[in-house]
Amino acid sequence: MKPDQAWQPYTPSAENPWDLAKVGHLYRRAGFGPTMAELERGLADGPEKTIQRLLTGQPADPDFEAASEFMADERSLPAGSDATQLAAWWLARILHNPHPFREKLALFWHNHFATSLAKVRNARFMLGQYRLLYEHALGDFRQLLKAITTDPAMMIWLDTVTSRKGQPNENYARELMELFSLGIGHYTETDIREAARAFTGYTIRDGVAHFDPKQHDAGEKTVLGQTGRWKAEDIVRICLEQPACPRFIVGKLYRAFVSEAEPPTPEFLEPLAQLYRRCGFNTATVIETIFRSQWFFSPAAYRQRIKSPVEFVVGIVRGLEGRVGTLPLADALAALGQLLFSPPSVKGWDGGPAWLNAQTLLYRQNLALAITSTEDSRFGRRCDPAALLQKHLRNGDAEAIDFFLTLFLQNDLPAESLQKLRDYAVSSRQHRFPKYWTESDIREHRWRTLAYLTLTIPEFQLA
Amino acid sequence: MSLSRRDFLGRSTLLGFSSSLPAFLGQTARATPPAARAGARETILVVVQLTGGNDGLNTVIPYADPEYRKLRPTIGIAKPDVKKLSDELGLHPAMAGMADLYEKRQLSVIQAVGYPNPSQSHFRSMDIWQAGSTEEDLSEGWLGRAMKQKAMTGFHLAANGNETAPLALAGAPTRVPSLTSLADFQLRTAAADAADQKRQRQLISAATQATTPTPSPLLNFVRRTAAETYASSERLRELSLKDNSTVVYPNTSFANRLKLAAQLIDAEVGARIVYLSLDGFDTHAGQGGGTGVHANLLQTLSEGIAAFFRDLSARGQAERVCLMTFSEFGRRARENGSAGTDHGSAAPMFLIGPKVRAGIVGQHPSLTHLDAGNLAFTIDFRRIYAAILTDWLGIDSDPIVGNAFAKWSELFVS
Repeated sequence: MKPDQAWQPYTPSAENPWDLAKVGHLYRRAGFGPTMAELERGLADGPEKTIQRLLTGQPADPDFEAASEFMADERSLPAGSDATQLAAWWLARILHNPHPFREKLALFWHNHFATSLAKVRNARFMLGQYRLLYEHALGDFRQLLKAITTDPAMMIWLDTVTSRKGQPNENYARELMELFSLGIGHYTETDIREAARAFTGYTIRDGVAHFDPKQHDAGEKTVLGQTGRWKAEDIVRICLEQPACPRFIVGKLYRAFVSEAEPPTPEFLEPLAQLYRRCGFNTATVIETIFRSQWFFSPAAYRQRIKSPVEFVVGIVRGLEGRVGTLPLADALAALGQLLFSPPSVKGWDGGPAWLNAQTLLYRQNLALAITSTEDSRFGRRCDPAALLQKHLRNGDAEAIDFFLTLFLQNDLPAESLQKLRDYAVSSRQHRFPKYWTESDIREHRWRTLAYLTLTIPEFQLA
Repeated sequence: MSLSRRDFLGRSTLLGFSSSLPAFLGQTARATPPAARAGARETILVVVQLTGGNDGLNTVIPYADPEYRKLRPTIGIAKPDVKKLSDELGLHPAMAGMADLYEKRQLSVIQAVGYPNPSQSHFRSMDIWQAGSTEEDLSEGWLGRAMKQKAMTGFHLAANGNETAPLALAGAPTRVPSLTSLADFQLRTAAADAADQKRQRQLISAATQATTPTPSPLLNFVRRTAAETYASSERLRELSLKDNSTVVYPNTSFANRLKLAAQLIDAEVGARIVYLSLDGFDTHAGQGGGTGVHANLLQTLSEGIAAFFRDLSARGQAERVCLMTFSEFGRRARENGSAGTDHGSAAPMFLIGPKVRAGIVGQHPSLTHLDAGNLAFTIDFRRIYAAILTDWLGIDSDPIVGNAFAKWSELFVS
């Protein structure tokens, strides 16, 4: 597909109809996976209405916000809270926010401006950074980049707070260019050393950024070809003016929302980069164009990402319409490689195939088991697949298999995997169960196992 | 556009794989090595990556050089505190364990290692070190290519799930498994009985062998990873890791992984490459001097390595093992205003083991002739790789690092 054609809107046709697989695809990318009701509604509504619903979210839920605020209170989350407590708080938002798309974008920016509590050591500052990311998640990237530069957590994370006139610290200047706005190859070491001088004199006072002119190097600096008595916001502006900037951010959006499999050519991304600059760096505008596009609903994007641990686990919990204790969940996600508020480095999580190795794959399957089985009490046993079937009035093994495969894979899986699940449902009746188990105990155990086995199918690892 | 192909694919090559299982699965345990001749058993390389850019100047310290104190007024190590290696050089005071290995003639310091036009990006420079190349697009690691040339089993011992498989191991014919602990390395089921458990495991494995062809490299990647994982997990479950070792390790994640390395080596599953990292060396601010953040890291490193070699000796395995340390770069010679150090370039490497020719290799970089404030390199790291490949692992290094980098000779004793 040519670039101008690829980003044109998709319209359903006889050859390329709107189907369950596409609804599931959209819900995985614009959120954290569908429920059965969302699949059915999306199929009935068609692409336009479904995309609109996902982009704007359900109406705000005052109870949800009030509960979330209450849990973010200084008494519930004091400055000394650990990353697991913080992550649990965010996971609760991701699970229950009626606007999951906005949480998805906040997570994208958390990975982009990857800051870790491990060095910041102040949960209030990390919380403040989350609020900043959430506020600007769908909005103007220029404002976000400017605000993050004097965000207290970031100022500690990349040592702005210790950078003084005559003794600049290069950490923030380097990562601003390399990771936050331009990408490697679009600046020189001299640009970094000069820019670092502009970031001197910024400290934290009473929990907010404070500019101390006495510690600031007010001399002339030449950064990316522009000379002046630059301060922090000037360097941000200069970076934003570079043609490399919209290209760099759009490239990251592509990988996060379209495909991790094949890197697109610069020409292919150019329409999106131009759009990003033209619309004033409005992130939602670019993503909306992506979601509506022919390219997004083509095999080039479908299942062309590996689920992050958060996507993997939240997809299961949402699908099962269950509730989980988010503290143990945050803990389990750390083993899977994604403890929120603790990215491995300022580059964030590598993502893609790097999520999966022998150890993390086993952790994923074992976590899927722990959530769906009632034998593991860690997650509170409130994600019961058997109860879900009853709620949806499904009965019998054939209906159970069909329900789980529709919910989690939209029935798009190899025929032999389907056959093996059917065979298992038959053969499992011969197993020796404890004597005191009733017929319904055995039946429900089988249904939970069928749900678990569905989640272990390789296709479920793909987003 | 600065996303490379590898950024997309992650730290593993998705294409061009055979679907064979890890080498150690096909092998019978090497329980009967030709132990009659010392050193006849196959050699093992343990790579320790110091992530973040280790401050080489406060690791191997030119304590006699008056310039050192000028460059490091607050974080410099006082002369009487260093663990002296020679009249000019000493190790950081927290490195008693490694100083002791030097005394025992089991440690060599290779000075001023680096490469031309050094990158000061953590990520680019780490890629260069792990790939053994400064080419633009790096998708294979130096050890991955070594494993392609010669069938060797590798293990990546990850500190936690956050740590992804390193580029260094990419390109191997089969994916190198990442392990965090043996206890967690198994597939659980909620089975009614043993037959059910077997059936469920078979079903889960079978889904990775779907005969339906797929053009999707990602789906193939998941299937292959899963297939290899289930097979590895079965095999390691069956392994009775008789752990009679009584050597006590420090209570750090790093030391625990070295202990796991010793167990894997002793279990004779054919491990020849073991890769692990210690993170936290990006000391831009408040790095400390004789005590503090950097000292703690060096102590973790040194004590872990000392315990590892005590354990290997007790198991009769030490002579097979060479441990190599490296970091993506050293740090700026002059400390910054935050009592820390910014990104630099050349830094020392360590080679450790009974078969390593102990001593100090090369000259300490000049503290007066700096390259934009950074220590200048004199030894290209690929010459050290070439020596390890040819003289330790017995592999032709030309296809891996290129013939422009002659091996540095006499790093090992015969």
